[in-house]
Amino acid sequence: MLVSLRKYLALLCGLLLAAPAVVDAEASVHGEYEVKAAFLYNFAKFIDWPPLDDAQFTVCVFGRDPFGRALDPIEGKTVGGKTVAVRRLERAAAMDLKTCRILFIATSEEAQVAHILELSRGSPMLTVGDTDGFARQGVMINFYLEQEKVRFEINPRAAAEVGIRPSAKLLQLGRIVDTAKN
Amino acid sequence: MRAAISMIGARCRLAAQLSGGLMAIFSSLACADQSDALTELSMEELLGVQVYAASRFQQKTTEAPAAVTIITAADIRDFGYRTLADVLRSVRGIHLSYDRNYTYLGVRGFGRTGDYNGRVLLLVDGHRLNDPIYDTAAIGTEFPLDLDIVERVEVVRGPGSSVYGSNAFFGIVNVITRRGRDVAGVELAASVASFGTDQERLTWGGQGENGAEWLLSATRYRSAGQDHFYPEFGATANDLDRDHYDSLFGKLGLGPWTLTAAWTDRSKKIPTAAWDTVFNDPNHETNDASAYVDLAYSGPVRGGWELAGRVFYGHYSFDGDYPYIYSPGDPVTVNKDRVRASWWGGEVKLMRRYQQHTLVLGAEYQDNAQQDQANFDAAPYALYLDDRRTSTRGGVYLQDEMALASGWLLNAGLRYDDYSAVGSTLNPRLGLIWNPQPATTFKLLYGTAFRAPNAYELYYAVDPQKANPDVKPEKIRSYELVAEHSIAPDFRVGLSIYHNHIDDLVEQVVDPDDGLLVFRNSGAAEATGVEVEAERMWNGGRRLRASYAWQHAVDAVSDERLVNSPRHLLKFNYSAPLFASGWRGGTELLYTDDRATLAGGTAAGYWLANMTVVHERLVKNLIVSMSAYNLFNADYAFPGGPEHIHESGAALDQIPADGRSYRFKLQYRF
Repeated sequence: MLVSLRKYLALLCGLLLAAPAVVDAEASVHGEYEVKAAFLYNFAKFIDWPPLDDAQFTVCVFGRDPFGRALDPIEGKTVGGKTVAVRRLERAAAMDLKTCRILFIATSEEAQVAHILELSRGSPMLTVGDTDGFARQGVMINFYLEQEKVRFEINPRAAAEVGIRPSAKLLQLGRIVDTAKN
Repeated sequence: MRAAISMIGARCRLAAQLSGGLMAIFSSLACADQSDALTELSMEELLGVQVYAASRFQQKTTEAPAAVTIITAADIRDFGYRTLADVLRSVRGIHLSYDRNYTYLGVRGFGRTGDYNGRVLLLVDGHRLNDPIYDTAAIGTEFPLDLDIVERVEVVRGPGSSVYGSNAFFGIVNVITRRGRDVAGVELAASVASFGTDQERLTWGGQGENGAEWLLSATRYRSAGQDHFYPEFGATANDLDRDHYDSLFGKLGLGPWTLTAAWTDRSKKIPTAAWDTVFNDPNHETNDASAYVDLAYSGPVRGGWELAGRVFYGHYSFDGDYPYIYSPGDPVTVNKDRVRASWWGGEVKLMRRYQQHTLVLGAEYQDNAQQDQANFDAAPYALYLDDRRTSTRGGVYLQDEMALASGWLLNAGLRYDDYSAVGSTLNPRLGLIWNPQPATTFKLLYGTAFRAPNAYELYYAVDPQKANPDVKPEKIRSYELVAEHSIAPDFRVGLSIYHNHIDDLVEQVVDPDDGLLVFRNSGAAEATGVEVEAERMWNGGRRLRASYAWQHAVDAVSDERLVNSPRHLLKFNYSAPLFASGWRGGTELLYTDDRATLAGGTAAGYWLANMTVVHERLVKNLIVSMSAYNLFNADYAFPGGPEHIHESGAALDQIPADGRSYRFKLQYRF
């Protein structure tokens, strides 16, 4: 029994050591938030933005940041000739939100989504979340997982309200959701 | 699509080769832009990329007024779980026993032998499975679902009666089934395993143009079982471990409506001569069959309220065949237990957010239209019990979650239940949740819960057991402190410290007046414990979950350690991709400490190791999985219940567990 436990532990150590070396080889499986970050970049390209006078294209994350370093690859890329910058917001103040073109609202802010949406209303901004029910509450794009693949819901009404137009392709790939009536 | 992704892989490997002369670290740096390449993919390509979901780390569970563990379909696949019991065994603070008929749950040091998990509420998509005769939460092969159609299992620790009523005593296990649109096609699965075991499954799921969604699944399971030597009888029980079941599950969803139907029929031979029966007699067998239909609604209604409601019908039947030799020299007489129960009911729950409040109002009603128990000898016919009952139960509850000052949340709930048979009970729950910073959560929890005595405890009367319709609900008071911290979004650690006090515990005792066994509210118990847990995921798909529980549970009357209560539980689950092969390996190492047995002995502590390797892309649409269970072939045993202590003096207080076994499984998707 003890001998086999030792053998097992040796095997396990082998596994633990082998795994980091192979992570990159396992190219067809990615971290959930690496994929979501790539989606954010794609969304930016498939939105018909009104003329913007920002110096940069700012992607904001509000709440407990689930991305970690997963947003690094999109930083420095360009959208409509503007460089993508990533900002983590400390608070939901209208002033801070004003410069965000994409606002990712983390699950931690579930209780105050309505309030954040209210503050964000003034400017052309794509709101994105990954929490069950967000799209119905008026978040424009909401990620969900299906069979370990990332999918998204899209709320065209919420987008239209701030004057941005998702492309036909976005509407075709996402699941259409309407704002819930209170 | 797949080509696009393997191109990233090829580019990455090329980079690794170019830096071949350098240290390994350079090749990993060269590959670091692999996620960069993700941003080059089109949206259609991104939709096809497989990810390792971080859903277990969702904020939601940190706001729940309890310590919650979630086991996903990915865990079920990676660790080769076969039954709900396999799933629960990996959850912190839970230990199991199997007496070669049913599987019994122990939670936080409390694992009463001889009860059928009635102190845990078992739900499937929110539908209650505990039946109104034995309160059984079936977690072994008698559980109605094949684990392949399970999306995730949520284990909520602590008293839940303030919302869920009876049985939510130590915790709630909610099993969520897969959605039809996730199956999107036909799946065929077949497995062969040691001890003459095979299992087949056919599932069809999909979603129509109009949004209608369906899932239909059928499973057949046959196992010859393992023959064990029973030193108490000085012999091996031959061919008496057979376990068979068939099950059907169907779900149809349209808009806010979901109609579910489930059926399972399971029969098991008994090798342990339980209930003082004749050892090694092939007549000893039990059959459990259960079925239900459930129509649920979930959606918004007027005024900002969310409504969730359901109506349901359930049926349960039990047939037990017990071979006896009444006096020496007599032939074997088969005594039969027969249970028939049917019930229907409904529940409604209204939720709304209002400024700082999230209000939940709910009501539940159940009519147990049939609670019949009978006992008789088949031939010559002799009737010993023919008890027919009906009863009702109802409950109303209210819960409010208040966002107090920044970072503070107060969750308060209260539920009133009334049972036509045993009276009423009121159960509160209070939870104070504090997030001093986004990554850290503290929860201070207090609650009470109850379990109403079931029809078996109230009315079963076959010599040497008598009925006692005066048994009252048993109660638990629970105090808990939970601390959770995310070191990184994919690295979480947690700590729980709890104290449980149980009063009016329903236990079977001998009435000194007539020497008959009877259920009474005579027991009391206390349990104190500490649990620590860490969970981590890495990019690329490595996952680790490890926990340790220290638990001290004593009889509050005698101050003695409870039977079937391990002091230490250690659990370790790790899964990772195996080299560049596309195989994924999962292994678990579980330690259960010594447990005292009913006859005053000790079931020795043991290490259990299981290992599974799985490949999902060997051939398109084919999943191959190979598992080894009890890898060390550890020779261990579980404490048995009172039905294993014989009048003859043979005390089968330790039931041998399965030795090493293997399973080979294929799943094909059309």
